Amino acid sequence: MTKRHPVEKIFMVIATVFVMAFFLIPIFWLITTSFKFGREAFAIPPKWFTFDFTLKNYTQLLESSKTLMFVKNSLIISVFTTILSLLLGVPAGYAIARSRSRLLNTSSYFFLIILMIPPVAMLIPFYLIMRDMSLLGTYQSVIILDTVFDASFVVWMMRSYFADVPQEMEEAALVDGASKFTSFVKVALPLSIPGIISSAIYCIIFSWNDFLFALMLTNPKTKTIPLGILASFSAIEISWGQMAAMSMFAIIPALFISLGLNRYFIQGLTMGASKG
Amino acid sequence: MNSKFARYLRRFFIDHGTYTLMLLPLLIFVFAIAIYPLFFSLRISFFDYRLTDPNQIQTFIGFQNYVQAFSDPVVLQSISTTLVFVGGTVSLEILFGLGLAFLLGAETRFANFMRSFLMIPMALPSLVVGLVWRALYNVDFGVLPYYLKLIGVDLGHGPLSEVSLAMPAVIIIDIWQWSPLLMFIFLAGIKSLPVEPYEAAYVDGASRWQSFIHLTLPLLKPTFLIAILLRTMQSFKVFDIIYATTAGGPGTTTTVLNYHIFKVGLTFFDMGYAAALANILLVVIAVLSIIYILMLERQQL
Repeated sequence: MTKRHPVEKIFMVIATVFVMAFFLIPIFWLITTSFKFGREAFAIPPKWFTFDFTLKNYTQLLESSKTLMFVKNSLIISVFTTILSLLLGVPAGYAIARSRSRLLNTSSYFFLIILMIPPVAMLIPFYLIMRDMSLLGTYQSVIILDTVFDASFVVWMMRSYFADVPQEMEEAALVDGASKFTSFVKVALPLSIPGIISSAIYCIIFSWNDFLFALMLTNPKTKTIPLGILASFSAIEISWGQMAAMSMFAIIPALFISLGLNRYFIQGLTMGASKG
Repeated sequence: MNSKFARYLRRFFIDHGTYTLMLLPLLIFVFAIAIYPLFFSLRISFFDYRLTDPNQIQTFIGFQNYVQAFSDPVVLQSISTTLVFVGGTVSLEILFGLGLAFLLGAETRFANFMRSFLMIPMALPSLVVGLVWRALYNVDFGVLPYYLKLIGVDLGHGPLSEVSLAMPAVIIIDIWQWSPLLMFIFLAGIKSLPVEPYEAAYVDGASRWQSFIHLTLPLLKPTFLIAILLRTMQSFKVFDIIYATTAGGPGTTTTVLNYHIFKVGLTFFDMGYAAALANILLVVIAVLSIIYILMLERQQL
């Protein structure tokens, strides 16, 4: 852009180094600790690079049948939450974007308000209702509560996405006698794949990361990865190496997305804020 | 009167039928799963209802729970703790996000590469973030107290156990996780700004810093307002980080209202009182949401 003063340039370089150190050191610590023996994880002065590399934490985790169960439970919950949220949210977002009814248009704010409800406030009554229906500890209880929040996000996100998709082709389809629903499925959906990917990523990440709902609504058989991490943590002997290795399972989607799908993820996160 | 309404309904469905049917499944789902529990919560907030009571008796006590809430020193304390946490995180994250946008906003390969790393913190489970920082803060083997000691700063019992340090320590964790989001919001806002003022400033010999202060900041005002409100509402929800690091302590120094509600309702199972507290929090959030929506509407015009 504009020319830079040399002093400004040096300052920028130093600041960038500090900032990146601040953001990356915790992640680096987590990854390296997962490959350390117990005593080296505690070493003072800290061993950043020169430690005995071991896969012991991982082999121990994989030997335990519990680990696979945590992963399986997390997968079930996040896959079903994502599918359900997209099935409910994408058509609803389209309806709001295309309808000329003031009532339907303003209903998007209803979903925005749902997104703002603090999870704890929702969990107190929901816990009681699930208890009365004897659904505590089931996958369904977590999936439906996650879906309320994720689907509301998908509506909000897809509404602004569809609003930006050119409408000429849909109008042409309508003129040719297609129904509104057909023109949604055949014309609008294929044009909106990137938006749907962003929505799906958001749903996967947030149901995969969810801790509070799983904490209260699952039982020992349906526990998810975050609860598994906590379990390895609150054992009699705190094993930071195991905690770190278990956390690596939890951060797989995060790493995958920041490496490959970052464009979509950012679109999802900033969409709600930058567009009305 | 009745037939007029019926005619209106018929007209509405002829005009908007397909779209209504596409919206309806989700609307029904959300009403059943979210709105019904909120009414349920309103009802039990007027009862003395403890799950620990073997007979599970619900006694109607009117507004007693609400009266108790506003005279309970722990609640009043947790409200002010929440305000400190929300105020601290939002203001510092705005500053930090702005700094990041200034540092790494360029459309170069290097900046782009760095930005992709900054996406990791917010995609991580907050619980993991909390646990990692708890290890880094640990007074016996943690990295941070060790290096601070080397330069002569003694943290006593460690950042998370000292009354004066616990809140700043938790705020730093939140900054670590969420200020990149603000950077991305600001960068999206900057991208949509007109280029003409910058060209004029360049011709007039303004430095990058000057045009940032005098052009970007004022032009970004709407983005700022939206970002502040968005983060404020998210910040009110903080739970995982507190749970993973301090569990509200030492004492009640980091017990935000959200965490207090969790403790009352889901560890002591005093459901009526917890529901009353949750409703108070909901009113605060509702007021904020309405302001947020009004601002979104205004920005759209």
